[in-house]
Amino acid sequence: MSSSSSSSSSTELSIPLHVKYIQSLGENKDDLIYHMTSHLRLNAIYWGLTALCVMNRQDALDREEMIAFVMSCWDEEAGGFGAHSGHDAHIHATLSAIQILILQDASDKIDVPRVVNCEPSKHIFHSRRTLPEMLTEGLPLLVILSLQQPSGVFAGDAFGEIDTRFSYIAVQSLSLLGQLDKLNVDKTVSYVLKCRNFDGGFGAVVGAESHAAMVFVCVALLAILDKLDEIDQETLAWWLAERQLPNGGLNGRPQKLEDVCYSFWVLSAMSILGKLTWIDADKLIQFILSAQDPENGGIADRPGDQPDVFHTLFGVAGLSLLGYPGLETIDPAYCLPESVTKRLGLRKNWKALPKRT
Amino acid sequence: MSSDAFNSTTALLRMNPELYTVWNYRRNIMTQTMFPASEPAEVNDALTEDLSLTFTLLKQHPKVYVIWNHRRWCLENVPDGPTEDDPQGWKMANWKKELFVVEKMLDADARNFHAWNYRRYILANMANAPPPSTELAYTTRKIEANFSNFSAWHQRSKVLNTLWEEGKLDEKTSKQSEFELVQNAMYTDPDDQSVWIYHAWLIGTGEDASLLHREIASIQELLDEQPDSKWCMESLVRYKRLLLRKHRPSLSVVEGEQLLQDCSALLAKLAETDRLRRQRYLDILQELQRPSS
Ligand SMILES: [Zn+2]
Repeated sequence: MSSSSSSSSSTELSIPLHVKYIQSLGENKDDLIYHMTSHLRLNAIYWGLTALCVMNRQDALDREEMIAFVMSCWDEEAGGFGAHSGHDAHIHATLSAIQILILQDASDKIDVPRVVNCEPSKHIFHSRRTLPEMLTEGLPLLVILSLQQPSGVFAGDAFGEIDTRFSYIAVQSLSLLGQLDKLNVDKTVSYVLKCRNFDGGFGAVVGAESHAAMVFVCVALLAILDKLDEIDQETLAWWLAERQLPNGGLNGRPQKLEDVCYSFWVLSAMSILGKLTWIDADKLIQFILSAQDPENGGIADRPGDQPDVFHTLFGVAGLSLLGYPGLETIDPAYCLPESVTKRLGLRKNWKALPKRT
Repeated sequence: MSSDAFNSTTALLRMNPELYTVWNYRRNIMTQTMFPASEPAEVNDALTEDLSLTFTLLKQHPKVYVIWNHRRWCLENVPDGPTEDDPQGWKMANWKKELFVVEKMLDADARNFHAWNYRRYILANMANAPPPSTELAYTTRKIEANFSNFSAWHQRSKVLNTLWEEGKLDEKTSKQSEFELVQNAMYTDPDDQSVWIYHAWLIGTGEDASLLHREIASIQELLDEQPDSKWCMESLVRYKRLLLRKHRPSLSVVEGEQLLQDCSALLAKLAETDRLRRQRYLDILQELQRPSS
């Protein structure tokens, strides 16, 4: 029954607790969970670091250590980054690495360590090239462009799983590296448009059901490539608005449960379409806040569940787009702080809700 | 020995099937070490065994992308055989099992989009795939089991498009029976958005004015019974706006005014009753009241 003017309840975002939670994640490297999630390590660092940036606490993780870890994930043979030292290069880990290095403003200062030791010998990376040198040599670029398929979609790695997520990752990576001019834009966009459904949404591949996460990647991709005029924005914004459930949370598809991460997938697309006012921001804010762990920090997928760094980022990113006070604005097309995309001259024409006080 | 390495990838993947590097490593062992030293029958056996392994893993981890992906890789690498006269035999035997597997997965979770995507992939790529009419019957079963299964409605829209395009079903008659199916579902649960989204697909871009009029009348009847039904109101606004947009010249001035008034009244009520999306209704209301060009 809450109206948009009703006052918020007493719950607030516990920034110090979430900062502590993120700091604690890398601490216990003997932890089984730490090893079980090694395939996502680089992504997890990006999630944690971006969450900290949104909470204005970028300093909370050690910068030098992080950069050294990122460089240890370089897969020299494939020319991309793996999720962890010794893991194969993958397009998703490669984007995370680029994002982290850009967030750390490391692209013009870093001396790549002489030898970053990783387990299999093929991964030993020894050189004193700086990151900008590496980037301009086009190393990650090479692997990214080689992953585009004849249909226009991108694969995640050499084994060829295809998905619009990988198209988005490729486009964002190239954009951050200032290399979009190397991309076949028409081919890339034409595959994405084939994934559009009558409900206005997008699926992971041609024929797939609309899903909010895929809507995010497709809409953000079109935004980065300035191709938003190709889609039926009104129908899509309607479908997105219908993701909100009576408890304030958002789901990813019709008749599914709410989940905090959709706060970002859905809101990012809505803010790119300039339609964030089409859902009840107060109720969504309350829902996200109710999924916080009040003791150990972190945000879960829904109230009462175990928090994780993924939902912590997408929770605070959602709050940021809703104008929650005290947060840095997130750029919905890149999922990076607005200050960063502005610095790189990449900010597109999207709209967050006005900052609350 | 590579067989030790191979067995250790099995053990690791049973513990954590998301380790994509281990899957890669396993495939590399197979293609670079094992297969070149094997008879085609052994290659086929190894791939068949990996298909069983991934089925076991999927039952525990139905939403892990890399497991589904490994199944695709296995299928695509089945060699020709068993004989020169029957080069498709092994392929057919393996692919045929896939529909069974995916149906098991969809029995466990009828909304699993990985399984639906895989199903479409199998149907599109297997030799002797069951015809689209069989797939249509499958979606009917899924929908009848649960009207809220939007994944099945979605699949149905894709299959029907194929059947219509290929001329295997007459679009007009088949659409008519779809309207009957969907009306049945609407009356069962007017709050189920899956059904209304599918209805909107059947209406399409609204070129057929008499169809719009007919469906508007039918939804109005339901609204009279269920005066607070959000989806009745939402759909009425949608279709009345379509009439205004697409068929203005065939409407009298009075009819046009009436439609505008109806939409305004419905939008005002929606803004009061569906508070979450209040601003959307107000925005559309404002757009309607803007003098048209
Ligand atoms: Zn989630």
